[in-house]
Amino acid sequence: MRQEATSFSATAGPRRSPGRVGWLLLAPLVFWAGAFVLAPALIMLVYSFAERTALGGVVLAFTLENWAGVVDPVYLRIVMRSIVYAGITTAICLVAGYPVAYGIGRADPRWRNLLLMAVMVPFWTSFLIRTYAWVTILKSEGLLNSLVLQLRLVSAPLELLYTPGAVVLGLVYTFLPFMILPIYSSVEKLDGALIEAALDLGAGPLRAFSRVIVPLTSPGIAAGVLLVFVPALGIYAVNDILGGGRVDMIGNIIENQFKGARNWPFGAALGTTLLVGFALTYALVSRRQRAAFS
Amino acid sequence: MKRSMSLVLAVLASLAMSATPATAAELNLFAWSEYVPQSVLDGFTKETGIQVNYETYASNEEMLAKLVSGAASYDLVQPSEYTIEAMRKEGLLLPLDHEKLSNLKNVGKEYWGQPHDPQLGFSVPYMQGTVGIAVNKEKVKGPVTGYADVFQEKHRGRIVVLDDALEVVTWAMATQGKGPDQVTKENVLATRPVLEKWLPLVKVYDSDSPKTALLNGDVDLGIVWSGEAAILMQEEGDKFAYVLPKEGAHMFIDSLAIPKGAKNVDAAHKFIDYVLRPEVSRKISEDFPYTNPNLEARKLLTKEELANPASYPPGNPKLETFRDIGALAADVDKLFTDVKAKSGS
Repeated sequence: MRQEATSFSATAGPRRSPGRVGWLLLAPLVFWAGAFVLAPALIMLVYSFAERTALGGVVLAFTLENWAGVVDPVYLRIVMRSIVYAGITTAICLVAGYPVAYGIGRADPRWRNLLLMAVMVPFWTSFLIRTYAWVTILKSEGLLNSLVLQLRLVSAPLELLYTPGAVVLGLVYTFLPFMILPIYSSVEKLDGALIEAALDLGAGPLRAFSRVIVPLTSPGIAAGVLLVFVPALGIYAVNDILGGGRVDMIGNIIENQFKGARNWPFGAALGTTLLVGFALTYALVSRRQRAAFS
Repeated sequence: MKRSMSLVLAVLASLAMSATPATAAELNLFAWSEYVPQSVLDGFTKETGIQVNYETYASNEEMLAKLVSGAASYDLVQPSEYTIEAMRKEGLLLPLDHEKLSNLKNVGKEYWGQPHDPQLGFSVPYMQGTVGIAVNKEKVKGPVTGYADVFQEKHRGRIVVLDDALEVVTWAMATQGKGPDQVTKENVLATRPVLEKWLPLVKVYDSDSPKTALLNGDVDLGIVWSGEAAILMQEEGDKFAYVLPKEGAHMFIDSLAIPKGAKNVDAAHKFIDYVLRPEVSRKISEDFPYTNPNLEARKLLTKEELANPASYPPGNPKLETFRDIGALAADVDKLFTDVKAKSGS
């Protein structure tokens, strides 16, 4: 434990500013971040105070109307629901993904790569195609329903598609690998001697898990939670395809401002809100991480 | 100094000369996805030598946004009637030269005199469609003749509708005796109780491919684009029916128009006139079975094509076009979003 903690603080210790060569090597990244992250975020911020024309053009001005819209109960309710869906997805991914990641991390190194590969294979197919594949499985006359009907488990087809459950299923399916991979990399580094020590010193398996294994793999858990929660909050394709577009998510609302509603400034205000929310979540998680190791 | 100046001029002149034939030989077409057959584009290029760059969009609003942003220059766009009206108001369309459109006479009488462009001075109808009710006759018993018959308690969870705020709000207005030309803030807000009754019954919202949920058996009836319904009828004609709501149905006229700033106006005219040829227009009907506004092309259709009630509705249905609603789009969207959010789980 001690060793782990010192190595962590060594990387997080006082920073040396990079030399000339360092800056040169950093230049592409700095340029990339500036041109494709910072600049668009600033444009979005400026637009969020702008006014719109009837045709959907943007007139630079200063109005707080778009920001008033963000806290309008109509949209606030949708933001809250998106947070709930993303939260449930993250929780299920954590509970389902942790044992898998632990199993792969502790597996015989000969099998490890093969198992990791199995986690990543779905990425070889387009995300949209995989989501549409769930439609084929879940629809009234779909694979799952014909199976349970054949087995006489039910007498009428189950209503599976276009339900909140289908949306959560789709989200978990999409994001599970993003939970497994970072936890795996933490588990892989885990020193087995520490677990044995805990057990030798009288901790039961549960206690060893909660007091030793979880804290040592917490960087992976934190990274996994961020990697799942943040995109799950903004994604809307799963909701459209598996939820039948019945319940809007914040992503749907933003998309709609840029298309049907022709209200870019409001879309920009919503987008900025989401961005700030992500930044806050990230800051919170990384602060907890630092606190845990200091 | 003088010499270098003339040199610059000479270079400029040669650039201009080399540029002219290059630009004349291309056409930047910005049109709906899945709406212009590749064979039509190839035929046009083969005959005229004009290269067509076909870029696509999925909604009028998307097209407008891209056009207004000025990010790209297009020679030909494909707006629907209410968007044509909005674009004309803002001076975003160039007038058409009817002298260059020898086949314009093929366009049916009923497409002239429409409020968005009565003289067809800015737009030429490409395809026309309606929004109507598709019914799975095996599952739905009893007659379905209008919006009110669709949104019944007995159909709860068996309905698909377009995920389009203006469409749904105008359907509700129709049941209150108001046409789509009466979209005012007051009339929009007055539809709230109707929407609050309707939307909890809906199972799927889908504008892209509403036929899918019907074909998959996940819903039994829905309000969909006629082109989607026409494909349902082609595939399973015995099972499905298409009904135009008696309260009045939305008729959309997708047209070709030349936006302001077009660089190849002549090529754009040539393309419009090419599409207006009966044998070319007929090819479009084959791939996309909407209502063909070209009467000469209709004569070339098969009996089966003409008998498809989704493409060519029998009788004399009440059809109305949309008008530009300007900034009210935001109010329509907000109402729909709100009621939808409260109706779902």
